[in-house]
Amino acid sequence: MKWWAFVIASEMRKILAFRFDFWVTFIGQSFIQIIISISLWKSIFESRESQEMMGYSLESIVLYYLIVPVGSKMLTGENIGFLSREIYDGSFNRYLLYPISFFQYKTLTYLTYSCFYGLQLVFIFLSYHILSGGIQTEQLINLLAGFVFFFMASVTYSQLALGIELISLWADNIWSLMVMTRFLCFFFGGAYIPVDFFPQFMKDILVFTPFPYLINLPIKVTMGSARMEDLFSGTIALLVWTILFHLGARLLWKKGQHHYSGVGI
Amino acid sequence: MDIIYYFVNLALFKILFLHTDLIAGWTLEQMMIFVASYLLVDAINMTFFSTNLWWLPYYINKGDLDYYLIRPVSALFFLSVREFSANSFLNLIIAVFIFVYSIINYTQPWEVEKLFGLILLLINGAFIYYLIQMLMIIPAFWTQSTRGFIDLFYTLGLAMERPDRIFKGWIRIIFTTILPFSLIASFPARYFIEGLEELSLLHLLSVTLVLWILILSLWKKGLRNYSSASS
Repeated sequence: MKWWAFVIASEMRKILAFRFDFWVTFIGQSFIQIIISISLWKSIFESRESQEMMGYSLESIVLYYLIVPVGSKMLTGENIGFLSREIYDGSFNRYLLYPISFFQYKTLTYLTYSCFYGLQLVFIFLSYHILSGGIQTEQLINLLAGFVFFFMASVTYSQLALGIELISLWADNIWSLMVMTRFLCFFFGGAYIPVDFFPQFMKDILVFTPFPYLINLPIKVTMGSARMEDLFSGTIALLVWTILFHLGARLLWKKGQHHYSGVGI
Repeated sequence: MDIIYYFVNLALFKILFLHTDLIAGWTLEQMMIFVASYLLVDAINMTFFSTNLWWLPYYINKGDLDYYLIRPVSALFFLSVREFSANSFLNLIIAVFIFVYSIINYTQPWEVEKLFGLILLLINGAFIYYLIQMLMIIPAFWTQSTRGFIDLFYTLGLAMERPDRIFKGWIRIIFTTILPFSLIASFPARYFIEGLEELSLLHLLSVTLVLWILILSLWKKGLRNYSSASS
């Protein structure tokens, strides 16, 4: 078996190890987030007595928030804190002995989780449209494009997360740093509220950050509401930020190796 | 980290109010009182309970509860408040500041009695939050992993961060009775802003009492199922 197939199979077994936890997470978390978000927006639309806000109808906002939970999961995966824990307790040593690149291995494990949650995205998207009266070819194409963009975004985020986790080579605990990063990515990325609702000065600044391309753009692509120029600029932005984060992680790894004792605490 | 959390929550509603004048019948300054209220509840929980409850499932699974069960004090009480989180205390100070700031900037007339009532109800809200969290942790006595329940708890915590009036029908019933997240900050904020009917206050206190009795009962049942490291 090729090494990458072995890694993917191994990670899938971990995901499904605790089946009850898996189903509670899969159904429970997504369902609750969707219910709460939709309740809020229904209330806002009712108070305004209008059919549209910033180009979003209530129906499109519902679809947006149906995608947010699984899209966010696809972006962030489940690996938060694992690398820093391994550095802390010394089990990081095994990556130094593996016959494959540490970066390749870690990125692949990360993306396995992302793809798994991508299946949930497909399931939710298809269910929504089938229950709404049927799915058209154009919507399937949007779904495929959205999946690709979410995958690209998760590659970008994985390099960012790797870099932050490698700070563990110097600091004991970086868990709060990871949580802060996640908060910022979710807020400025449009997980809590679509970026289109932000004030113009914030939107102008966010264009130069990776955030709106991580969640908001992939969702808009999935919904079919992204323009061609957004697809092009989003692709370039994700590519540039992936390279920058990867180079940053490589630099941290190069410098940090000398700080790693391998003994653990 | 919590400062980022406070910023995100305040900014979220500030941005929403750029596009609407009312959410669930509240204006921006009323909503800020609500936001400050649940941030205060969260800070109280993080300072007094969270660290303790974080470790509880590990103690149960590893059999380390023994050291606490033999002490001459209620094990539940001791395990819940054993550690005071000093690093979260700073967040509590910031949350209090945000709360005071939102009250001072509230331009509508209000009474001091209502403010005391709000503070008492928020303390009760912090207790409800603790009880619901315990409800999600106690299954550790029977299941190998409560991670799913705990993740579910934090997701459900979103309901605490939204005004109760946005929920309708069966969703509202769930969030005001079975999983009473709406009673934690939304009802207290409503008490301060517009007053609460006596029936609603009675409902709030009854739910707290029932939840407390339920936790005590489940804790006792859980201890009977507990197999310690030494046995």
